[in-house]
Amino acid sequence: MKKLALLSSLIVLCLGFAVAAPQTEISLAYPVAVDAPITAMLKGWAQDYMAANPNVKVTLVFSGGYPDVKTAVQTAIQGGAKAPTLAVMLATDVYDLVNAKYVDSLDDLVAQTPDGAAFVKDFLPAYMGNSYYKDKLWSLPFQRSAVVLYYNADLFAASKLRPPRSWDEMAKDAQALTVDGGKTRWGIEIPTENPYWTFQPLAIGAGKNVYTDDITVDFNAREVIDAVQFYIDLSQKYKATPAGVQSSWGTSTQNFAAGKTAMIIHTTGSLAGILKSAKFKVGVMAVPGRKAGTLASVTGGGNLYLTAGHTADERKAAFDFARFLLDPSRVADFSRATGYIPNRFAAQKTAIYKDWLASVPQAADAVAALAAAQPELATQNLNAVKTVFNKYLQSAFNASMSATEAMNAAQKESDQALADYK
Amino acid sequence: MRAKPLAAARFAVLAALAALMLTPLVWALLASFRPPDVPFALGSVFFASRFSLANYAKALALAPFAHYFLNTVLQVTTIICAQLFTASLAAYAFARWRFPVDRLLFTVILLQMMIPTAALLVQNFSTIRFLGLYDTIPGIALPFFGSAFATFLLRQSFLGLPRDLADAAAIDGCRWDQELWHLYLPNAKPALAAIVLSSLSFHWNDFLWPLVVTQSDAARPLTAGLVRFTQMGEIGAQWGLLSAATMIVTVPLFIVFLVFQRQFVEGYLASGLK
Amino acid sequence: MKRPRILPYVLVAPTLLFVLVFTVLPLGEALVGSLFKLKLNVPKYQHPVFVGLGNFVDLFKDTEFLQVLVNTGLYVLALVPLLLAAALVLAFLVERKLTALSFFRLALFHPTVLPMVSAATIWMFFLTPGYGLWNQGLHLLGYAGPQNWTGNPSLALPALVLVAFWKNVGFMMLFFLAGLQGMDRSVIEAARLDGAGGLRLVTRVILPLIRRQSVFVSTVAFVGAFQTVDHVFVLTQGGPSGTSTLPLYYLWSVRFERLDIGRGDALTVIIIAVLMAFTVANFLVNERHES
Repeated sequence: MKKLALLSSLIVLCLGFAVAAPQTEISLAYPVAVDAPITAMLKGWAQDYMAANPNVKVTLVFSGGYPDVKTAVQTAIQGGAKAPTLAVMLATDVYDLVNAKYVDSLDDLVAQTPDGAAFVKDFLPAYMGNSYYKDKLWSLPFQRSAVVLYYNADLFAASKLRPPRSWDEMAKDAQALTVDGGKTRWGIEIPTENPYWTFQPLAIGAGKNVYTDDITVDFNAREVIDAVQFYIDLSQKYKATPAGVQSSWGTSTQNFAAGKTAMIIHTTGSLAGILKSAKFKVGVMAVPGRKAGTLASVTGGGNLYLTAGHTADERKAAFDFARFLLDPSRVADFSRATGYIPNRFAAQKTAIYKDWLASVPQAADAVAALAAAQPELATQNLNAVKTVFNKYLQSAFNASMSATEAMNAAQKESDQALADYK
Repeated sequence: MRAKPLAAARFAVLAALAALMLTPLVWALLASFRPPDVPFALGSVFFASRFSLANYAKALALAPFAHYFLNTVLQVTTIICAQLFTASLAAYAFARWRFPVDRLLFTVILLQMMIPTAALLVQNFSTIRFLGLYDTIPGIALPFFGSAFATFLLRQSFLGLPRDLADAAAIDGCRWDQELWHLYLPNAKPALAAIVLSSLSFHWNDFLWPLVVTQSDAARPLTAGLVRFTQMGEIGAQWGLLSAATMIVTVPLFIVFLVFQRQFVEGYLASGLK
Repeated sequence: MKRPRILPYVLVAPTLLFVLVFTVLPLGEALVGSLFKLKLNVPKYQHPVFVGLGNFVDLFKDTEFLQVLVNTGLYVLALVPLLLAAALVLAFLVERKLTALSFFRLALFHPTVLPMVSAATIWMFFLTPGYGLWNQGLHLLGYAGPQNWTGNPSLALPALVLVAFWKNVGFMMLFFLAGLQGMDRSVIEAARLDGAGGLRLVTRVILPLIRRQSVFVSTVAFVGAFQTVDHVFVLTQGGPSGTSTLPLYYLWSVRFERLDIGRGDALTVIIIAVLMAFTVANFLVNERHES
């Protein structure tokens, strides 16, 4: 009897091991404030994927923002540990990441998948701009956005103003809508604690983007200086926006929804949040350019990267999970929940998205803004260049330097930062 | 007597100053109990009429504070135990005997007091990585296992042992470890307490080094965990939530401090000798 | 017990080992590494290239680094006198041995026990423009200036000084208190009773006290500027425009965000050199006064 018991328990044990197949573990690092509603959505998707693929374990890692995810990936790899398999980082970080060999190319994984090439072709070209470097594919668009002007349509109508069609109109509208020197309401608020991105549409609207290629920046171009001056004028001349640098990325959307500012320049990614909290009709449009009738915007947002140092199984599972996340229905769902612009053509054809467009016309306006968008600042040594540019933009906004001085200094120091790459 | 009004004035001034000093902490405490749906506004200082634990519930759900707490306790305990061990041995040797190059060795050890470990974080990061201890609690703790401060303090204490006690031990023919354990250490209680509390305070509150040498929740302590709540992203400031998280991180050590006030103070005074 | 031959070395070995590995060795690494250019995200410099003192020259030509030096100078020059003055006054105020006063002592001392990260997050809330109590209080006192303390280039560094002051004044008060309590009571009483008040009190009691403790306070403030940057991480991230970047934060950013290893090593060398110079100078000044 004893022997039988021993034998049967051994058999059960072996069976148990056979059933519990070895798991491939992958993780996704996602940049979001610890409290964002999007985390619930991602967690749900991770669960769905694991249910459909029991031999893969997916862990989600949430860090505060894009720089935090990037630093975490860098530090992990340098520390000799495994970085999260997939990471959502800025599309523009591609040069630094590839040079430092922190990310793997996706070419071989695309080639292995049956419809891989078609899959990659389905992404909006505007959003693939930073995915290629040295003739290889490095990232896929995940949450892509554009900078737009949100305006309080009810307020505009009540004040008999039409949405601005030029810098001049924008400034004058903002001036007219400023109440009590800004204490009750500002005409416009532009977040400037990390100013380069929300500033780019102004430069583009003046006629020139702030950079030409990965080793050439044009900070002291005449048009860029004019754009800096326009921002300064908005507070000094038109008194329509708070003076100086405003750390208001998070609070400007709240202020807008609460009616404390008539217009803000912000990301399409805030659309869903704003629509939820604003009790008035919200207007969305690309940022007016200097000349009447022109529009300007800049792309932004994060791509999905595959970090270096993983096994073949992990890479395969990660790519599969990435495809799962980028399925047209999920992309449409994600857009609906956040306001990020769907990055795939197939997603724009889904019923989910079409329904959302029907009920939320602003979503179509956001997509329309994309037509006027030029690429986000993307150069080698991006951290250093951005730091320099941000610093001097802030110096100009804070009136410690004139626009010309600041941009000349920015050009000089950025050229130094890029010298090693020429 | 002119003393009375002066004493009253002094009392009043102190009360005002103390109130001012307490304001930030108290206000954060109040904010942590504010119902999340009551927005902050000008003039609205207190938490309206309702008292809510929602922020705490959310903070606890969003980050594994219990786990961070455990990590912190493990890290600090490991460091303190290791420091007491290595410092006791070294201090005993330096206090008990004169031996060739003892001054040199002592000076080398004292070097650590002149150079804060924080300044060496880049190089120590490489060393920890080399040892394969990145993202582990031993990785956080290891650089602190040798403590110049503890060695210095204990040596002072051991040197202060009354001569007759030392002589008696010598006559009795005690072995070195018996001497250390039964004679020197028991008489060094104030120094030991100072070392424990000083280390406890410093390492419990250490932020940058654990941040740099860990990446996952598995090994992170309370301080690194708290900083996640300050990264606002697109949501904007969630002050109630942040305050609740801050309270969760701050209160444990604070309670220990309230209980062991006098010893803490003495520990701080001793650390000032550095 | 006769002095054993090798036992002392065995006993000293563990401490010595750790100090060698985690203090002396890193120092050497930094010194050597600072002579090479190594930047992980620049193809040209992914393997170390010898540049002699090139990293140091580049640092001193870099406006960002020069700004860091200026920031440090301002930070220390503001913090030290503030701490000295406030701690002295507070120590005198709480000097009597009354139980009521012990609560006040506690209230004044409590920030020292908090992690700097917590202190910074508490102040982050406290400094909010508009409804933040700091700004509300200032408004009551008639202040009409800018309210965005952490976003304003002229107020960001003062904000850091403010937080560091709040965190440390109780600690400094304690040292002055110990100094006062350690002084001969009769001297203090005599000075008080003299009624001529001010001068005797100042020369016999206050000045000697200040002289001894000021060395300590300035050391802590100075070393703190190099060692504690938690509040920079939380409140300002070095900005705006680099006006609140302190040396350790700059070091972290250079090494972990910009992946410039060579420059990181050079910075480490400079930071340590400054700290050691300060310690030695302090020590010499102290010695001279004692004799």
